[in-house]
Amino acid sequence: MDNLDFSVVWKFRDALAWGLMMSLLLSGICSLAGTVLGFFIALCQQSRFRAVRWAAALYVEVLRGAPTLITLFWVFFCLPIILGVEINAFWSSIIALTLYMGAITSESFRSSLKSIGQDQYDACNALGLAPATRTFYVIAPQALIRAIPNILSNVISLFKESTLVSAVGMVELMYTAQSISNITARPIEILTAVALIYFVIGYGFSWVVSSVELRIRARVQS
Amino acid sequence: MTVLQPFVWGRSMADHFLKIRGLEKSYAMGVIKVLNGLDLTMTSKDRLVVIGPSGGGKSTLLRCIMGLENIAAGAIDINGEPYIGADNGATRIDRRIQKQIGMVFQSYTLFPHLNVLKNLTLAPVRSRGVPRSVAEDRAREIMRRFGLDQKLTAYPSELSGGQKQRVAIARALMLDPKLMLFDEVTSALDPELVSEVIAMIIELADGGMPMMIVTHDMWFARRIATRVVFCAGGTIAEDAPPEEFFARPTSQRARDFINNVLHANAEPA
Repeated sequence: MDNLDFSVVWKFRDALAWGLMMSLLLSGICSLAGTVLGFFIALCQQSRFRAVRWAAALYVEVLRGAPTLITLFWVFFCLPIILGVEINAFWSSIIALTLYMGAITSESFRSSLKSIGQDQYDACNALGLAPATRTFYVIAPQALIRAIPNILSNVISLFKESTLVSAVGMVELMYTAQSISNITARPIEILTAVALIYFVIGYGFSWVVSSVELRIRARVQS
Repeated sequence: MTVLQPFVWGRSMADHFLKIRGLEKSYAMGVIKVLNGLDLTMTSKDRLVVIGPSGGGKSTLLRCIMGLENIAAGAIDINGEPYIGADNGATRIDRRIQKQIGMVFQSYTLFPHLNVLKNLTLAPVRSRGVPRSVAEDRAREIMRRFGLDQKLTAYPSELSGGQKQRVAIARALMLDPKLMLFDEVTSALDPELVSEVIAMIIELADGGMPMMIVTHDMWFARRIATRVVFCAGGTIAEDAPPEEFFARPTSQRARDFINNVLHANAEPA
């Protein structure tokens, strides 16, 4: 314990930077794709057709209920067998994290849709807006704005969950850190440094979230 | 129901401008009856103020006239044409007529994500097919007329309550309504902001706009009404010109109500 040497972190800075970039890329792609998916699922949950509503609800409950690691393993090991196509670590990670992000984000959209008061609907109806116009120009934009802080928090969760993909051999920050600590036999320095990186990015991002939230609050009060 | 022929509001049949017969409305599967066979007629010269106790059906009456509620029974005619009717549990609404009625609510109900100009032009552009430039010119004109032209690019959150409510009235006026419904539009306002909203409504009234107003403000009621109707228990309990109504209410319920309100105003608790 008395010979901690953090210079090892600096020595492997290029590998760590590459890993971090992959983690950010993965989180970024899956955040965008998952948000689009989540919006679509939230709309499905409002569908006139019971089968569509049930399918969407089933998807959300399963993906939110199951550990993300199981989803990842299922996509990596089972899906190729079922579909008969090779799915590498990168695409398995993308698919699993997008499915996870879609599930939690659909809930954010659903609650923001629900939070829009009856008086907005009354106003639209009194102005003679058709239902599609009402949804497209009045209700959905407000729901999107209201969902932004929640979606940004989901991005932080996703960023942290993305460490799991190291388990299928996806080379990102966590995988890189494990490899380096194995080679150098200095897990304390490396893993502490990596924890700090995750913390700084997550914390910084949540600071951004709360300032965005303050600005948005003004835009959603009639 | 045809949409080809625009509905024309004739002033010649003034006596039948608005005719409500046997209007019934209930909530909770018919358990709570809010309107109980309400009858009411209004001429195009009328500015009708509806007062009465909470839960008496005033707001529900306005919401029914606006076509926001399903009704259980009864009918509303406008200019002798059927506008709203009950058909075996379903509510028929003539949308042509509905589009010529404007309503302003207690809670402003501006669209918070749109600025004032967009709030005003959304319905004309997206629902009436008015070209954007025409709608924007009209919005500017209306806002100038009511002294709000500095606020065109402001968002609702940047306005005072009184300004919000005046923008809400302007938004309804954009659609050139032939009848305006005001549902407790000053109730949510701070006392010092009430007068600017009332002034705007009085200006509209002086311009000859037929209107129906639900309010708890007895001074406002007296000032603007050509007729005061007292709505209690889901029916119209009394219907009289304001000077007569406030001086000599005939029903006991109206007498009690006025005494309570005037008493409350004189000696705030």
